[in-house]
Amino acid sequence: MKSALPRLVIKFLPTLGALALIGAITFFYFRMVAVNSVTVALTFLLAVLVAATRWGLVEALAASVVAVFCLNYFFLPPIRTLTIADPQNWAALLAFVVTAVIASHLSASAKKQAVESARRRREMERLYTLSRNLLLTGQGPLPQQIANEVAQVFELDAVAFLDRASNRIYHAGPRDIPLKDNQLHDAAVQGTVFHDTRANAVIMPISLGGRPIGSLGIQGASISEAAIHSLANLAAITLERARAQGIATRAEAARQSGELKSTLLDALAHEFKTPLTPIKAAVTSMLSDSSTSATHQELLRIVDEEADRLNVMLTDAIQMSRIEAGELQLHRSPHSVNLLVRAQLKRLAEQLEGREVTVEIAEDLPLVNVDQEFMGIVLWQLLNNAVRYTPPRSPLTLRARAEGSSVVVSLTDAGPGILESEQPEIFEKFYRGKRLRDRIPGTGVGLTIAREIVRAHGGRIWVESQPGQGSTFSFAVPRAAPQELPE
Amino acid sequence: MSNARILVVDDEPQIRRVMRTTLVAGGHTVRDVRNGEEALEELREEKFDLVLLDMNMPGIGGLETCRAIRSQSDIPIVILSIRNAEKDKVEALDAGADDYVTKPFSMPELLARIRASLRRATLAGPEATEVLNLGRTTINFAARRVTVDGNEIRLTPKEFDLLHYLANNPNVVLPHARLLQAVWGPDYGDEVEYLRVFINQLRKKIEHDPSNPEYLLTEPWVGYRLRVPKTG
Repeated sequence: MKSALPRLVIKFLPTLGALALIGAITFFYFRMVAVNSVTVALTFLLAVLVAATRWGLVEALAASVVAVFCLNYFFLPPIRTLTIADPQNWAALLAFVVTAVIASHLSASAKKQAVESARRRREMERLYTLSRNLLLTGQGPLPQQIANEVAQVFELDAVAFLDRASNRIYHAGPRDIPLKDNQLHDAAVQGTVFHDTRANAVIMPISLGGRPIGSLGIQGASISEAAIHSLANLAAITLERARAQGIATRAEAARQSGELKSTLLDALAHEFKTPLTPIKAAVTSMLSDSSTSATHQELLRIVDEEADRLNVMLTDAIQMSRIEAGELQLHRSPHSVNLLVRAQLKRLAEQLEGREVTVEIAEDLPLVNVDQEFMGIVLWQLLNNAVRYTPPRSPLTLRARAEGSSVVVSLTDAGPGILESEQPEIFEKFYRGKRLRDRIPGTGVGLTIAREIVRAHGGRIWVESQPGQGSTFSFAVPRAAPQELPE
Repeated sequence: MSNARILVVDDEPQIRRVMRTTLVAGGHTVRDVRNGEEALEELREEKFDLVLLDMNMPGIGGLETCRAIRSQSDIPIVILSIRNAEKDKVEALDAGADDYVTKPFSMPELLARIRASLRRATLAGPEATEVLNLGRTTINFAARRVTVDGNEIRLTPKEFDLLHYLANNPNVVLPHARLLQAVWGPDYGDEVEYLRVFINQLRKKIEHDPSNPEYLLTEPWVGYRLRVPKTG
């Protein structure tokens, strides 16, 4: 119905309403209820106030003028005359005008604020919707999805999204964006918001932690500066989250593949140990029979030694796979280095036969806070390496000393030594010394196992060596908290 | 004891073959079975002096078999296993095994372990107490009987020997190695986890509150001590 009325009428409808209000009051007091002029003036003032708050300044001013006229003409003596000379009229007019101005101003600003807050609320709702939609992204490239969502949620005519990682621009929205590609690139690199008022378009840079990762161009909506910044942040976070997730997924896949490899290796090594068991049992049983000839004894010893070697290789493989599968869970408690060392010397007693092994460990050396089983493996690996890589009957020396909050254990041999260039590499997996790798068999994981175990204890392992002058392998592990030992 | 009846339990035929051959050559009588179910059946029908039990078998498996045997008998059980992590050992000992040997093993070593498991520690010295009272628990060493509140409870031979050795040295801290050598044999000394498990088993059997022991006391990092109250 409203739209059927001529525009002019719609425009002046509030003014007419204000005037009608004044007319109605005039009619009421003049014809129906007789009151004094002060009451009439106050009622007019109320009407002006209503007009000002309801419609605005123009309407209120019109109502003020007409009200002054009506007051003068109908209610102030002499009645039915316009005696403007009376100062009461000026006072009334001033009161009406001031009321009109102040009330309309207050009302207008309140209305403006209401409109503004409604707009903000709408923006917030849209940003919220966008963030929720971006969390549930589906198929296709993420920047394309971001562009689609922005266009849809903010009801934009056109959206262009530059993703610097793929260096591609993704478009969305019902129209083509009136922006050039290099404008998007420039905005991204310069990090400044670019307004194109003629085309009603904005380009905002998207960066995360100061790093430009793209830009977003939008057209067809008036969005506040704050909302534009939020939009850019949202896009940045979405992209970054997806990238971090991708990296995590790949890392997880790599970890799982490594775990599978480790599990396989572990299973395989255990499978190989099963046939090794009767071989070892049979050959050691025959060796213990004193009636076998010297030749047979020697041949049996070869079988026995090779069975042992196979066993060591398989044990190394199992340990390495346990370490790589992240199964290095330490059960630490205070242990005496002396006892740990003696236990391994006992295990290797056969291989160490004929060697002079010196143990220089002070009685009052502090205890170390280690996992007994794993520390045994470290010592065993070092001793076993010494047995294999140094001449038979050459001496070995084991020392241990306290150093700050650590205890350093070292094993010195009188072997051929290690080239300085090779020293950092010997702890790496599968690395084997150039001069000896063809002559002495091995898997090349022993020192890696030792290093990983020492590292898991929060310690370090290193070698000092000079070719021709032997080597000293040392490792440092934390000492146990000093405590009274009960006697 | 060089003439023992030994039950070999292993699913690997070649291991059973080599065990049978060498153990028989060593003067023992051997029966071998393929799994835990057969072992339990065999043990019901015949009397054995020792069980050699594989850990990793199809069916009810070594650990379960060990528990089942232990619930009925105090026969010495030696576990044979490819796994050599400490937690595997502790699990086996917790299940009631007396010893744990890692495969592959040398035969002389296994024979020594078998001898150690069969041997009864000869501990009764001249000053050894015949009967010891620890609160509710009464231990009669001569009769190898233990009663708690008048009810007889069963200790495995190794548990009994351990308790006996501690009782012969009351109120003295006994280092790990000394306890191991006294109860298991001279080849032992580093198997601290054995003691941890066996002391725990003993505590469950004779202590009023096993997690807060009154008599079987741990001396951290050194050993164990049996607290015997002074009697008037």
